[in-house]
Amino acid sequence: MSTGVTVALLGQPNSGKSTLFNALTGLRQHVGNWPGKTVEKKEGSFTHKGKEYKVADLPGSYSLSANSDEEVITRDYIASGEADVACILADSSQLQRSLFMLADYAGIDVPCFLLLNMSDVAAEQGKKINAGAIEEKLGIPVIPFSATDKKSYDVFYEALGTVIKNKGMLNVEKLNTQYESIIGYREIYELIPENVIPGYSAMWIAVKALENDKVVMAKLRAALDDQTYSRIEDAKKNAQGAVATGGCKFAWIDDILEKAVDAGDKKISLSFLDKIYTSRIWGKPAVILTVLLGLIASFIPAIPLMIVGSLILAVKAPVMGVLSSIGCPEILTLIIGDVVIQSFSYIFKMLGFVFGVTLVFGLLEEVGVMARISYVFDNTMGKLGLQGKSVMPFLVSFGCTMGGAAGARVIDNWGQKVLTIALAWAVPCGAAWATVPMLSTIFFGPGAVLVIVAVLLTMLLHMWITAKIFGAKLVKKEDRYGMIMELPPYHKPKWGALFRYVFGRTKETFIRVTKVIMLVCGVFWLLSYSPSGENGGILYTIGVAIDPVTRLFGMPWQLFLSYVASAVGKEGAIGVISALYNGGSYSAGFMDAMNGAATAGNLNELLLANVSKPEALAFIFAITFNMPCVVALAATYQETHSAKWTSIIVLYYTVVSLVLAFLAYHIGLLIW
Amino acid sequence: MEGLLKLLSDGHARTVEMLAAELDTSVSDIARKLEYLEIIGVIRRVSLSNGGCSGNCSGCGGCSGHTGDGKRDSAPCKGCIPDEGFKNMGVMWEVV
Repeated sequence: MSTGVTVALLGQPNSGKSTLFNALTGLRQHVGNWPGKTVEKKEGSFTHKGKEYKVADLPGSYSLSANSDEEVITRDYIASGEADVACILADSSQLQRSLFMLADYAGIDVPCFLLLNMSDVAAEQGKKINAGAIEEKLGIPVIPFSATDKKSYDVFYEALGTVIKNKGMLNVEKLNTQYESIIGYREIYELIPENVIPGYSAMWIAVKALENDKVVMAKLRAALDDQTYSRIEDAKKNAQGAVATGGCKFAWIDDILEKAVDAGDKKISLSFLDKIYTSRIWGKPAVILTVLLGLIASFIPAIPLMIVGSLILAVKAPVMGVLSSIGCPEILTLIIGDVVIQSFSYIFKMLGFVFGVTLVFGLLEEVGVMARISYVFDNTMGKLGLQGKSVMPFLVSFGCTMGGAAGARVIDNWGQKVLTIALAWAVPCGAAWATVPMLSTIFFGPGAVLVIVAVLLTMLLHMWITAKIFGAKLVKKEDRYGMIMELPPYHKPKWGALFRYVFGRTKETFIRVTKVIMLVCGVFWLLSYSPSGENGGILYTIGVAIDPVTRLFGMPWQLFLSYVASAVGKEGAIGVISALYNGGSYSAGFMDAMNGAATAGNLNELLLANVSKPEALAFIFAITFNMPCVVALAATYQETHSAKWTSIIVLYYTVVSLVLAFLAYHIGLLIW
Repeated sequence: MEGLLKLLSDGHARTVEMLAAELDTSVSDIARKLEYLEIIGVIRRVSLSNGGCSGNCSGCGGCSGHTGDGKRDSAPCKGCIPDEGFKNMGVMWEVV
């Protein structure tokens, strides 16, 4: 029996090569490795009309460049002469893209034919392909085909027979004309003698030289004299590269497909929402409105947990009453009431906001709106001197600054990484989103929304100013790049996954917050506790001493100590407030409250009685823009590897938060 | 292609649709060119999962802050990012 003809199957991944190979060879196939490589080698054989054919299923690869072992093996196998015919497969449903393999093949001196595979899929998409017109331009058989449809194999065998008989070669004239437009192509082309690398035309080699294909360059160095090789190297220095050659290949593909493919193109137009989000004028207002509406909407799912928080507070007085009546020591009664029950009341109220914010923003991410938000913010990123991907650390920072700082590690440029982290600190984290709305609601009622708006606007201004201050030192102008984004389609949320995330996050927050608040509240309560019931305790003494200074920033000493505690964790601030306004210094008022005095039925009213609105506003701004927490500080050091910059950032945030508190207080005095 | 690259490098974010509109071409044309530019290493895809932390990077402190027990844990923080990262954030590329 004659050894017959060898057919090499060539195509990009998922072009249907393996389906064709299996259909042709059935069980007559064997799998091994290419010599010296870990790349799989699949060979088989089939008989058609009494003739024996060998088939090689070449590794699927995007092109025939030297980007991977697969690509080099593929092209060398074909050019070596082992294959008599190359059968090139292209995906009919996306010819514009999948003919790139054919364009990269052009110039290899082996007869070939083109299979427009998955033509059934293309037809379903409404694409009409005139294979005859393509065939005319290419000069090789071009057949619509479906590897999964046995009936279409007759035309395959027929085309194979034609190519073997005519030794049909791909017409590359127009592609060559395209290449002529590349600076440096002609010069290099003329330096390459025909057949210098067997199996490849001078055009193909010249293009690979322009693309800086290392394998081809090594072969040229071996085959050419030193002078010619250096002239090629010199010509390359001023020549255009792979971007230009790729452009030519795409232009050639478009020329082939022109009038041969009716794509049945439904004009893709942006949806109404996307027109707004991507608008240069309306994009930012739309995003800001979306975020605000999201925050307001997040109050709704927060309600049930807030009710739980209030119910816990409601049991405080009866529980303490019972404890007193059964003769429980006063200090224990106070610890259970002031520290434990009071803290849990706050914890549940905070959890309400965490749950609400996570649910609403998780939902926005699920339906695809978050991608639009990050897109709109990207332009702002550019103005801040950052890369597009800084968006992600910022988004993560809304949840947790530590996550944001750790997320900044995807930014390779050190300066941009440090700047990203420095700015991420200004983004109020999950703990801030839990404490700030709660405190705002206590002090400002429905006006809390306005406070949150003010916090968000301050955040933007803060980031802008911080970028201007630090950016000049950290980021050079030439380091700044644009970003390309493929916006995802809007789609229905997967509720199961969303709720798993939301409940997971709420649970994690509950555990963390409980630890911090109980600990901080407990310690501060003990420090401020005075057995006599009169003003006293260590903290009181210190507090009164520093009070004149802290009031400069609009904060009584109790709030200032809460602010200091917020550097450990924002939740800590709540613990301190809870302890100090319940503790020794206010014990008389508190006892009244506990005994059901109408004037101070709960801590909220106690707070309102002791803290003025301007002071509350100052405190809210101070804790929001204070350093996020000690863990974020550690993460910042870990990512920047710079104690200097970490210290600068800490110092900067402390100063800025106090300045903001000062401003908020004085603005508050003007209002109230 | 050169025109596309110029737009990619000018510091403005654009969607694929906007690139197509500015270059007077189709979205599929932009998509195939982005694919090519990614393969030749001119642009690269931005990772959107847990800050790109695969847990293999040296010096990675993981997310010990969230476990609360001080143990190093390189798994994504449940409190920071949804499991397996952000799923519906689209695809982002940047110029290398």
